Amino acid sequence: MAGDLVSTLADLKEKEALGIVQDRLSAGDDPLSILDDARRALEIVGKRFADSEYFIPDLVYSGEILKGITDMVKPKLAKAAEVKRLGKVVMGTVAGDIHDIGKDIVVFMLDVSGYEVYDLGVDVPAQKFVEKIKESGAPIVGLSGFLALAFDSMKETVEAIKAAGLRDKVKVMIGGGQMSEEIRKYTGADAYGKDAMAGVTLAQKWVGAK
Amino acid sequence: MSVIRDIPLSLKNREVLRREGFRGHSEIRPEIKRLILELLASVRNARLLEPAVAYEIHSITEMSPRQLSLEGNLVVHGHLLPSLLPKAKELAVVVCTIGPRLEKQVTDYFNRDEPLRGLLLDGIGSVAVDSLTQEVCKFMAGEASSRGYQVSSPINPGMPGLPITEQWRLLEMVPAREIGVSLTPLAIMSPRKSTSMVMGLGPQMTTWTGAEVCAHCSLRKTCPYRIPAQVEKRNKAKTGRG
Repeated sequence: MAGDLVSTLADLKEKEALGIVQDRLSAGDDPLSILDDARRALEIVGKRFADSEYFIPDLVYSGEILKGITDMVKPKLAKAAEVKRLGKVVMGTVAGDIHDIGKDIVVFMLDVSGYEVYDLGVDVPAQKFVEKIKESGAPIVGLSGFLALAFDSMKETVEAIKAAGLRDKVKVMIGGGQMSEEIRKYTGADAYGKDAMAGVTLAQKWVGAK
Repeated sequence: MSVIRDIPLSLKNREVLRREGFRGHSEIRPEIKRLILELLASVRNARLLEPAVAYEIHSITEMSPRQLSLEGNLVVHGHLLPSLLPKAKELAVVVCTIGPRLEKQVTDYFNRDEPLRGLLLDGIGSVAVDSLTQEVCKFMAGEASSRGYQVSSPINPGMPGLPITEQWRLLEMVPAREIGVSLTPLAIMSPRKSTSMVMGLGPQMTTWTGAEVCAHCSLRKTCPYRIPAQVEKRNKAKTGRG
């Protein structure tokens, strides 16, 4: 049965996947094991995306199916066994840049992958990132930017995090249209994610999730 | 100064897929195909596109290696223009937009936890801007022809050799406010689904294709939206466009 859900969701067969979840819930299956299977399926989707077998809309579609499954499973969870969040992430498009689509997709994919995401929106001043990191205790920060104009804002944000004495408490990832490993070095961030799934993979690595 | 509105745009499924990063080597899911068609219909029914163009054609008074001087003591900086338009007599400055409605709808979809719709609609918006640019090119070709000139392909701020900050000057040269376009402090256009460009008009103007522009871009190896030359050639053969 578990294999069915993993492969059906990985193949993006929405109706069938939701049907399997309904059957498993009706049969009294452990809701947490259903979520585990769903996240395993998402890993397969991520690999297919990396291999160019899937494109961006497929990736987002898989996230929407996973969200539907989570919504079905949640009411069945005992209070004590509520969906465990894997970690906290502060995300935003850096100061001066107003592009949001890429950032919104990363936020969505992190959310459905089990992270608590604090989305600060677009044109976010460095200090706002610092405040949110302090307030939330999030160990991961995602800086998004589409244009070359965002490079300096990213660098300034990383420097503000350092000045606030938080640099060794957080891992910083950058992403967006013009970003690269070279820009990552310039900004002082820890990693560069080339797409939404790379962002999820980095978060998994940093929180030690499987 | 001139404004054009009510411009018919061509929104092709194939172009929407390219704008979504579809590279043609995977299968398109029927659910996604259906959703694109549904969104294209909603764009028409809800009138989400309000295309508008603000433009002005200026005589070129002087050309130096790093700038173009225009009538009225106007200047555009950047070495790209003199190198690409050495024989231009006039410079068309154009700002165009599809308006704010589509991107507001995109934001609404994301806020309503419908990111797939948001993503696809955003791609449709990008195709609409591409189509608007093509319409502008056709219009300018007509203007050039009426003067006995040819028109160059468009050159956009942000291309290497024409800094994005030149948009400040360009927006002052056309009635951009009249079509609702402004710049953020770092020269990003608002609404985001807008573009600015300049085109040379003169006796012998050079043209280039989208694929050629992509081939010179610093993101040519990684950009998911790049236009490969062979795809452009194939598409032109299908549509009969030259």
